[in-house]
Amino acid sequence: MTFATLATWQGWLVLFGAGALAAALFLVKLRPPRILIPSLSLWQRVLDASPEVTRWEKIRRAVSLIATVLIAIALGLAVVRPSRLAGAGAAGRGRTLIVLDSSWSMLARTQGRDTRWDRAIAEARRIAATTEQVAIATTADGLVQGLTDDAVLVESALGRLSPAGYGDTSWPTVSGIESVHFITDGAVPRHLDPSVVVHSVFEPVGNVAITAFDVRPTLGAGRRGPDVEVGTAYLEIANFARKPQSVHITMVRGKTTIADSRMDLAAGEAYRQVVPLLRRGDPDLHAHVDAPDNALDVDDDGFAWISRARPLSVVIVGEHTEWLRRLVGVDPDVRATFVTPSIYRASGEDVTIFDRWAPSTMSTTPALYFAPPDDTPWLAGGGTDERRPRWDAAGTHAVLAGVDPITLRLDHARDCSSSLLTPVARSAKGTALVCVGDSADRRAIVIGFGPSDSNLASAPAFPVLVANALEWLGRPQTRDLSLRPGLTSFTEASRVTQADGESVPLTGMQGSAIGLLATPGLYGIQNAGARNTIAVNAADPQRSNVARTSLTGDANVARPRGSLERPWWLACAFLAFVLAFAEWWTWQRRITV
Amino acid sequence: MSLRFENDFLRKLEYLHVVSKRALAGQNRADRLSPKRGRGLEFADHRPYAAGDDYRHIDWKAYQRLNRLLLRLFDEERDLSIYLMIDVSKSMIEPAKFDMARRIAAALCYVGLAHLDRLTIIPFGNDLGHESSPGRGKGRIFRVFEALEQLEASGPTDLRAACKAFASRPRQLGLVVIISDFLEPGSSIDASGDVKTGAATSLKGDATGPQAGLKILRTIGHDVFAVHVTSERDRDPGVFGTIRFVDVETGAMREIEVTPRLAAAYVKAAGQHAEALEHFCGRYDIGYVRADAERPFEDVILRTFRQGRFLA
Repeated sequence: MTFATLATWQGWLVLFGAGALAAALFLVKLRPPRILIPSLSLWQRVLDASPEVTRWEKIRRAVSLIATVLIAIALGLAVVRPSRLAGAGAAGRGRTLIVLDSSWSMLARTQGRDTRWDRAIAEARRIAATTEQVAIATTADGLVQGLTDDAVLVESALGRLSPAGYGDTSWPTVSGIESVHFITDGAVPRHLDPSVVVHSVFEPVGNVAITAFDVRPTLGAGRRGPDVEVGTAYLEIANFARKPQSVHITMVRGKTTIADSRMDLAAGEAYRQVVPLLRRGDPDLHAHVDAPDNALDVDDDGFAWISRARPLSVVIVGEHTEWLRRLVGVDPDVRATFVTPSIYRASGEDVTIFDRWAPSTMSTTPALYFAPPDDTPWLAGGGTDERRPRWDAAGTHAVLAGVDPITLRLDHARDCSSSLLTPVARSAKGTALVCVGDSADRRAIVIGFGPSDSNLASAPAFPVLVANALEWLGRPQTRDLSLRPGLTSFTEASRVTQADGESVPLTGMQGSAIGLLATPGLYGIQNAGARNTIAVNAADPQRSNVARTSLTGDANVARPRGSLERPWWLACAFLAFVLAFAEWWTWQRRITV
Repeated sequence: MSLRFENDFLRKLEYLHVVSKRALAGQNRADRLSPKRGRGLEFADHRPYAAGDDYRHIDWKAYQRLNRLLLRLFDEERDLSIYLMIDVSKSMIEPAKFDMARRIAAALCYVGLAHLDRLTIIPFGNDLGHESSPGRGKGRIFRVFEALEQLEASGPTDLRAACKAFASRPRQLGLVVIISDFLEPGSSIDASGDVKTGAATSLKGDATGPQAGLKILRTIGHDVFAVHVTSERDRDPGVFGTIRFVDVETGAMREIEVTPRLAAAYVKAAGQHAEALEHFCGRYDIGYVRADAERPFEDVILRTFRQGRFLA
């Protein structure tokens, strides 16, 4: 028997306690009312004359006692809401699929100091022991062990499982399965097939969690200087315990603690804190909360990355680069170095800008080329030049977002198309004006005109174009990333590493890659020399609130095949009402006591 | 509660008189026929003249016809001695019952005083209390009221002992009216009229309890009349469940689970108790009237007592 609202032992305790209390109250010797009468002689005569007691009078007290205890137990059952029988009879004797809920909330420690996951594994073992053939699956990983009757395989599968925390896969299906058992704490509501037998491992426990943590830019971030506030760290924590408790909050930037506070949070109270962040300092940010009643550890840490604390290092190569110097010199997020082609050596800079010059081989680091010379070898075989080209449409590539081509007046442009590049903007006559190269080992942008061929240096589109190019080249994968643990699709990544340097396996899939970010933390992304860092957090109020469960709602508690369609507790409540009414009706008529 | 009656009711009482089944000789002249022959107004009989007789009572017309001296005899009209024995034991402590008993006594007193009967009010419990004789004439009714108002219910009941005490003193034979609930500790009257004690002993010979007391009075020649005052509580427990009943006279307690069946048996037993008392009274030529405390008092006096041929 499992109980929707309480642990099993608590449910049985409530039932036995209710029955015992009702029996004790029934048997307690109440002082009867006293009535003065003229003489006891008549009563004596009545009692002497009627010694025979009917059979009903002999048993009616016992019947009343039984009815009272039944009412108490029925009410207790209605309160604890037994979901179903989960004993040996409920477990399938044939082929059974056991699905374990592997969300983060299953890591919550119970009052018995074991975790819900431990209980789920124990329950899975118990079901497997009563089943001929069993398959094991989790909500995150899907099927992890096919149908087998080998106890060693089953035990091995159960032993290597752990809560993954990331999003659900599709519900596992195995052909020939006779019964499906789902072991869950109900933290995440699911619509289940009515034939699925639900086993609850839920036990309400307290928890304190970081429910939101990220870095938000401020208006002053565009100014230069080490003490400029480049953003704010937004931290939100919540106390999901049923009692107030003292919470210790720390926030560390690099190795420097920038916030350390203690506060009392009431039950259910959320607390929000905003910490200003200066440009000076390390870019990695780590928040941690600690509290006495804290059942879940995974949501106690938050990670964030201050991108503006690490400016892009840009090398500008050219003979006459003053027009670029004026632009990048005012950008606080760029640290620029100017070199002439004669002394240029390829290094590990984030982005290289080639101004009307290009090396003989395409740069292996992300590079932006302005009007590369005609004799550039890797551009040979392209189209012809065009005089006074007309650029009408800006194009849809991220490099051209917000660029207004109408403001550009081009006197001359070279067709930048190449086998290594893809045109993203063309003139009215079809000349490739802007090309991008996006491969696993190279990333480049070629612009077929320069300041001497156009009014580029003075056009409003110029700073937008350069900023887009630097962002695309230097900081890939800054959008469309899920910042929660789980399977993540990377559109521009060749390598993803964890904080300890270990690579995350990626699976290529039609121009993108899918990797599993299993745990919260900071992850580095590299693509053709471009680097970026993303923060993955488990912050989720729904999973962190381990004091509640969706299993209390009947819609999420499925019934085993052949069992009662209606919830047991409704029948129990109805039975209690009927018994109480019958007891009251018969007591009014002195049929029962 | 005041025992004073309305004038209309008093006028109705004046038309009534207490009926004695036997002609009993009183001490004083009054308007009630007595078995004695003497100086009355109503001719009764003749008897031969004997020396010393008052020759004024010689019937000279008979002498002229029969040539014998015959003396005319007249019925003598005397008063009636009425002894009102009122139960003042604790079993009468229920106000409705005790008030009914005292008002009945007051009404009977007024009827008796209005007809120049000799009244004696005798409270009793397990013994006789202070007797009071208001005298003759209805003007003495206020002394009766005062005496009755001073009565308080206390102590146990022992009608037999009270009647023995009553009989132990020389008294004019008369009408003894016993106003009581006839409930005594440890005894009851079964359907045959026998008194049962706690040991259920038949008391036909050496009787105890209320029946024995009535028997004593009847034996010594008094005309006895029993007024059985009852209340609803005496006839029906009116409660259910586990009740601790306390005997008001002895303080004895008994915890009884009153069920509908047991309550019905109690009602039946109470009815049998009253019927047995009535049956006993009928067998020994004792007048019996049952006065329910819940009934209107005037209805009890003017209807029930007349139907019981105690008042006429």
